[in-house]
Amino acid sequence: MGTDNDTMTNGGTGAPDVETTTDVARDAEPHVKAGEQQPLEQEATGREQLLAAVEALLFVSKQPLTTASVRRALSDDVKLSDVDVATIVEELRISYLRDGRGFRLVELAGGYQLRTASEFAPYILKLFKEPREERLSQPALETLAIIAYRQPIVKAEIEAIRGVDVSGVLQTLVDRGLVRIAGRKEVPGRPFLYETARLFLEHFGLKDTEELPHISELRAADPKQGTLDLK
Amino acid sequence: MGSFLTRDDYRVELEIFEGPLDLLLYLIRKDEVSIHDIPISRITEQYVEYLELMKMLDLNIAGEFVLMAATLMHIKSRMLLPPDERPEDEDEGPGEDPRLELVRQLLEYKRFKEVAEDLHTLEVQQATTFSRNEDDRSLLPTVERPLAEVSIFDLLAAFNEVFKRAAEAPVAEILGDEVKVADKIREIRELVQHTDVVRFGDLFRPASTRLEIVATFLAMLELIRQKAILVFQRQVFGPIELALIP
Repeated sequence: MGTDNDTMTNGGTGAPDVETTTDVARDAEPHVKAGEQQPLEQEATGREQLLAAVEALLFVSKQPLTTASVRRALSDDVKLSDVDVATIVEELRISYLRDGRGFRLVELAGGYQLRTASEFAPYILKLFKEPREERLSQPALETLAIIAYRQPIVKAEIEAIRGVDVSGVLQTLVDRGLVRIAGRKEVPGRPFLYETARLFLEHFGLKDTEELPHISELRAADPKQGTLDLK
Repeated sequence: MGSFLTRDDYRVELEIFEGPLDLLLYLIRKDEVSIHDIPISRITEQYVEYLELMKMLDLNIAGEFVLMAATLMHIKSRMLLPPDERPEDEDEGPGEDPRLELVRQLLEYKRFKEVAEDLHTLEVQQATTFSRNEDDRSLLPTVERPLAEVSIFDLLAAFNEVFKRAAEAPVAEILGDEVKVADKIREIRELVQHTDVVRFGDLFRPASTRLEIVATFLAMLELIRQKAILVFQRQVFGPIELALIP
């Protein structure tokens, strides 16, 4: 709406309305700019920059990005608390969802990671030349479950539960990086203790072992199991 | 039941992942009996029957299977005595049900099998999303899932049915006729290639000899091992079906 025409149309029907609105708009604009919006915009730019920086870190990270790594990486320019990082990450997470991006920001294995949205899985599998069989065998899953809920655990204890030798399965799980040696148990023979590795959490999309299904119930059985094992 | 296979000189190297506890849980589920009150005679009898089948087929089974058979028979014999007449047993508290330790072990294992299923669900979900380092992950050796969703015990149960029927049939066996597993492999291959889905029962010709049935079954196991065919059940304890893996 041209300002030149405002006075010309003044006497016409319906003109006062138009004039009022333009006046308000003209008046309001500088006000907002000077009073509120400008500092907000400045702040927003800083905020946008911060979000973008964290986004950049997420983009390059091969492993789930931890809060500590974000703080360390940005420490020259800004001192962030854990809560600050969590807030930034949450803002990014929501923005990806809102903008309908092809990836999501997920909390995984003690950090954050950008992962593609599930709905695009068919396209991605087609993109990969050799689709990988990612599913674990039944014995591998059972052995992993026992380790996950009872870690750290020695091989003999796993075998007592499964009722069969687990040497082969256990070795595969270690080779695959899902399980690692946590140390030795101070009993005769000093057998290795096994625990789940970070990749385990990544493979099952878990934040930590506390997120395992029925964790409290199965861990609660632990002391009972311990006493029975003493025989 | 002796081994039928020495003449054929064929051993299926299919790895049997299931252990004795899996067999017991399978039998308990199949018979719909309570895990807390196992009819020990009946279950022991069935357990030994499966064990004999596996031995006859010369399957690659864990040594723990034999050990469990001994445990079951031990429990069975103790159950026959009134509690105050049972000799002392280090694995058993005074007046304790001889099945208690086994039940505890089965319940615990069953619980872990259930959470293993939960983990599998999580795994399938997670497999639909990808991070930027997928290429690295593809370099890792994959762990395979055996036998699709059918357990070796389901296969043995189906085999046993066919085998028993043949044993009862008044057909004279011509032992001179050599049946080769290799020939049966070819036969099954042809069958699955020309039919979308083959029912387990259709693998066996009517009036098959027991030797032929054994050879056919071993041929099927071999094809499973080679990942040439897929076996599946549409429902728990339902009929077993076979299809070609493209």
